[in-house]
Amino acid sequence: MDALTIRNASAMPAPTWGWLKMNNAEVAIPAGLAPAGAVDVDAPQELFDNARPFEVAVAEMQERVDAARGEAADDRACLRAAKTGGTHADADGDLGDLDVPALSRYQERACREEAEGDIARAFETGMGHDARSYLNFLAGEPVALGTTEGERARAVVRVEGEERAAAAVALDVVAAPDSELDLVIELDGTDDFGDADAAALIGSELRVFAGARSRVNVTVYVCALPATVVLDDEGYVLDEGARLTVRHVVLGGGTTYTGLAADLRADGARADIDTSYLATGTESRDFAYTVRHRGRKTVSNILANGVLAGTSKKVLRGTIDLVHGCKGSEGTERETVLIASEGVDNKTVPTILCDEDDVAGNHGATIGHVRPDQLFYMRSRGVSPEAAEALFLTAKLEDAALTAPTEGARAAVARLAERIAPDFDIDEADEEEAA
Amino acid sequence: MPTTPLLSVTGLTAAVDEKEILHNIDLTVAPGETHVLMGPNGAGKSTLGHVIMGDPVYTQTAGTITFDGEDVTELSPDKRSRAGLFLSFQAPVEIPGVPLSSFLRATLAARPDRALKGKEFRRRVKELCAELDMDPSYLNRELGVGFSGGEKKKVEMLQLLLLQPKLAILDETDSGLDVDALSVVSRGMDLYRKTCDGSLIIITHNTRILEHVDVDRVHVMVQGRMVREDNASLIPWIDENGFESFEQGAEDAADADGQASGAGALDGIDAGDLSAVVER
Repeated sequence: MDALTIRNASAMPAPTWGWLKMNNAEVAIPAGLAPAGAVDVDAPQELFDNARPFEVAVAEMQERVDAARGEAADDRACLRAAKTGGTHADADGDLGDLDVPALSRYQERACREEAEGDIARAFETGMGHDARSYLNFLAGEPVALGTTEGERARAVVRVEGEERAAAAVALDVVAAPDSELDLVIELDGTDDFGDADAAALIGSELRVFAGARSRVNVTVYVCALPATVVLDDEGYVLDEGARLTVRHVVLGGGTTYTGLAADLRADGARADIDTSYLATGTESRDFAYTVRHRGRKTVSNILANGVLAGTSKKVLRGTIDLVHGCKGSEGTERETVLIASEGVDNKTVPTILCDEDDVAGNHGATIGHVRPDQLFYMRSRGVSPEAAEALFLTAKLEDAALTAPTEGARAAVARLAERIAPDFDIDEADEEEAA
Repeated sequence: MPTTPLLSVTGLTAAVDEKEILHNIDLTVAPGETHVLMGPNGAGKSTLGHVIMGDPVYTQTAGTITFDGEDVTELSPDKRSRAGLFLSFQAPVEIPGVPLSSFLRATLAARPDRALKGKEFRRRVKELCAELDMDPSYLNRELGVGFSGGEKKKVEMLQLLLLQPKLAILDETDSGLDVDALSVVSRGMDLYRKTCDGSLIIITHNTRILEHVDVDRVHVMVQGRMVREDNASLIPWIDENGFESFEQGAEDAADADGQASGAGALDGIDAGDLSAVVER
């Protein structure tokens, strides 16, 4: 395949200053990658048998949402503005309704979505439409998984990269009401990869519909090789009382993109996103999270914790959108970044959008180098500054190994540690103890 | 035949932000000895411990520190540690993101002669946790984060016993501990002496921790000066009489220094300033 660039990927819903160069990402797909690599889905047969189309689940929810909304007219000026395109003079110079406000492009889109209330049209993934199209093209027919009411199930999906190859999986998941699904996705480069410095791409495209009161737990481990591009694109729609728990562990890969968009469409839905990342050498990490609170009393938490070393780069765009009507909702985003060496490039853009009262949006970031008193403490125990830097990397890897959801994920972390953390010393006994 | 000292501090003077806070300190510790460093708040006891360990916050402006036959004055703190020096912190720092077990592995990895891998490491650390009444689950927690004062001091004792240094400086390891935690710390000190036959410098202004320790020498510091050295009989005397008489002696010494130099070393610093600077 030819080289390809996906522009405006992982874009912030409401852009900030362009000169900050944080509004979106430009994904460079290396040239000469052949569709190859291994995709393995390990799940009980029932999950395949009970799969329902994502679109059908969304349409059913749409019917319920429309019925609940009824015919009550919403005549707010911002919605009128979105419908009419704002105030414009016609050929006769008549300005028409002067009470509608001027809207920015973002506001116009948001108001139009609000007026339409169309779940399918508003559906989004973190990396955006173009990246989604690319991954769907690469992956081919999506793998559909579904639970039945009250069922508890688990699936493990593994995408292994190969040198000069591109491999991806597309997954559609529908969790039935009151069911629980654990989904593990491993994006990895193995010992069979070939030339570790050769270009490669691995990716995952995930759409999840979480039915009423269901619990969906998604864990993604990324331990790819240093010349591999990784695309992890996710979109979620949550019905009433559904609970989503996402854990992103991004430890390896030359350039990685992690995008997540969650639509907390119905009352009482909740999304907890916990991200742990590590970047060494010249690696680059890009995260784009958007959580839209549309239902009442919805809750979201985006927590990220990372270590950056060498001359690595990282951008994290986190947007919590408290949409009109989401009364009683609360969204929080926090990040802690440890800069383990000079020369890293770290950017964090927390954004809270709000069009509702009686809601709470919180954000915070702690970004720091190792403090002198911490460094002296470590040195007083014989740990040199170089070893201290390595310790932060090793600690991140050891934590990932100890909390790995599968043996495959643990082995991937161990392989990565072999390359970048010689002091890594975790084995099965440690894991058992931690468990 | 006189024993070769393990630690020999000679004419040590140190400053912070160009203010001299330790003045011409002499201190000698022989192998296997237990010394006690006492003095009122702000005397410079903790500062001396930190300067011996090489804390870059302080600038050593004069004197030498010789350890185990080697002049370590110019060595970095990590090299001093690997040479066999250990400083237990009065207020151990928290290091988010680093589990205690990972940190312990790193401290051992820095010492090829003491490196323990896999099972050996786990067995040894678990033994020590049992000795110190410490829940092994702490090993998987981030270093110091959310630990109580007593738990932090236990972790300091755990490292002391794991690293087995030749000389340990315990900086007010007894401060702020309840009776149970104090007993664990005492047990740790006892274990260290028995298993390593190492030397100890115990920094304290509380004589209770010393009740079960065989003390060889007692040093008293006041206002950044070493004002008295004696045998263990000085401890009950201080317990009875406090440091008041030593404080007058230190003021006399400061006056004498001021007259001798024409510009006093403590010029510009009153006692309040010194406390703020010295007491960490």
